[in-house]
Amino acid sequence: MAEKGNTNIDHLGGVVRLREEHQKVVKECQSRIQHWKKVLGDYEALYDRLRTLPDQLCYEIMVPFGPLAFMPGKLVHTNEVTVLLGDNWFTKCSAKQAQKIVEHRMKHVGSQLDDVTKTMKNFEARVGLAKDLETMSSNKGDYVDIREEVGNNDSAVTKGKQRIAHKPNSKPKMDVVIGLKEEDEAETGDTGRSKGIMTEEELWARLDELERLEELQDEQDRLSDNADMNGEDTSSSSSEEEKEAEAAPPVNALSLKPSWSSVPPSVQPLRDRKEEDYEEDGSCLPTIFFSHTVEPKKVRINTGKNTTLKFSERKEQKEHSKRKKKNGHSNGHSHHELHKITTPADIYRLFVDVKNGEPIPRKSILKSRSRENSVCSDTSESSAADFEERRVVGRSFSHDETMHSDTSDGITEEDSPTAMPLQTPSRFEAFSGKVVEKDPMPSTVPYLTIVPPALPTILERKQEEVAPDVTPPEQVPKRVSKFKAARLQQK
Amino acid sequence: MAESIQKKLKAELEKYTQIQKDVSMSVSARQKLETQAAENNIVKEELDLLDSSNTVFKLIGPVLVKQDLDEAKATVAKRLEYINGEIQRYETLLKDLEKKSEHQREVLTSLQQDFQKAQGLIAGKDCPVFSSVQLPSLC
Repeated sequence: MAEKGNTNIDHLGGVVRLREEHQKVVKECQSRIQHWKKVLGDYEALYDRLRTLPDQLCYEIMVPFGPLAFMPGKLVHTNEVTVLLGDNWFTKCSAKQAQKIVEHRMKHVGSQLDDVTKTMKNFEARVGLAKDLETMSSNKGDYVDIREEVGNNDSAVTKGKQRIAHKPNSKPKMDVVIGLKEEDEAETGDTGRSKGIMTEEELWARLDELERLEELQDEQDRLSDNADMNGEDTSSSSSEEEKEAEAAPPVNALSLKPSWSSVPPSVQPLRDRKEEDYEEDGSCLPTIFFSHTVEPKKVRINTGKNTTLKFSERKEQKEHSKRKKKNGHSNGHSHHELHKITTPADIYRLFVDVKNGEPIPRKSILKSRSRENSVCSDTSESSAADFEERRVVGRSFSHDETMHSDTSDGITEEDSPTAMPLQTPSRFEAFSGKVVEKDPMPSTVPYLTIVPPALPTILERKQEEVAPDVTPPEQVPKRVSKFKAARLQQK
Repeated sequence: MAESIQKKLKAELEKYTQIQKDVSMSVSARQKLETQAAENNIVKEELDLLDSSNTVFKLIGPVLVKQDLDEAKATVAKRLEYINGEIQRYETLLKDLEKKSEHQREVLTSLQQDFQKAQGLIAGKDCPVFSSVQLPSLC
């Protein structure tokens, strides 16, 4: 209390001085205004005089003769005026021309006057503020410190932010990926990772590490973004406080601090909630992208790479093959494709509208052929129902897997390395498309590639087809029509 | 020990005040130049508005000397350029001086700290007075 009192006194002193300084400026501005007003008045008088001067040929006047005497005289050449332009420059001109010059100058003076008036008003406001601060700091009776703890808004803020972030130009997928990854990390945790490590080579283990680091980084960025959002809110809310509590800057800092500190923990529970919701057939809380409907997931195939495996797979893909084929993408490539747009189909994959909290893929204008590689709303819609049924658990993995597999449509030209990580997804039934394996792959992992036209009949057999699909990858031609693919599947 | 530091402090302080003076001088000079520049701008505008019908004079001492309009315009333009150049020069000078003053301030603070340490060790008699004198100058 004593300390606070001391600080108050110090601030009081500072505020008093501030006020005094402001008042000085205000006084100066006032004097300047006076000066300019006088000048303006003079110019106006001059203007009038110039107007009337040429009326007569000559005037009878009393000419001042020194400071004390006058002499009668005549004013001749009434139209000739020598005007001072400034800096010891003169010009002889007619009365009318002189009038024009005077007008010009009056305009200039007017602008100067305006500037000074503005400045004065500004400083007057500051003086008022300083006065308030002074009274505030001196007696805290009338004023109350208003603090607003930002706690409940976190979800809304995050939600909003999530929504806002979901723009074509931003990287919604990255967010989604991050979100999913978070969940994955939280839910699957070591299991997934261990699986990956077990199944992947050491190189991929290394990729996993990198991936994790990246996730953390993204997470932090997101957290900081959220924090910023919250910080903004608090700052706006505390702007009022500022006026009243300026005398005690620590107060402001304090008010801001709790908001900041509250952000990270608030984000944490948010994440947890996310995971929970996810398990409960998905919710829009963590990210709007994740809902329990099939559509978004399907569309998200490219985006929803929240599994470490997939992520590393993508990296692996990038490492192994720099080039991407237009149509045929292996799963790994599909991920790679995710963030790279090479075909129009990719665009539609990337950008998804958000309606009512659910991402709805935009209808593709591409022909069905090219759609084999992309995820279209049709396929997602058709399989939406099944998708939900097949959602055994709201595991991110399943989501990821399906999406992952969805992206890699029919044509896969990529090699085997991409096949590996998909071992785990086969367990889940979330995947609703057809799986066509076209590349020679290691038999360890049934590499799932989807032929988009997901005929409902085939969906049920998806599970069984996975295994047999592993074997005949080479036999499948590069381009396969839906029905042929279905037939192949049925075989 | 304290005495030597005291002397050093004095010397540094003098240097600092000198630099401050230079800074203020250049600032005022620059301001003057700016007003001159503004005035010349006005003159230039007025001359542009004039046509050749009216004569232009220049006040040189007590004498009004007749000038040619174009000549006057050229002269004013040149003067304006000169003033702008001077302003630039003063700006750089100002920056330089400010840097120096900053540096000097640092030196002074460090010296002051040393001095206070020394003072703390010794039961200074006149030192407190000195330090109290020194402190405000740095603010």
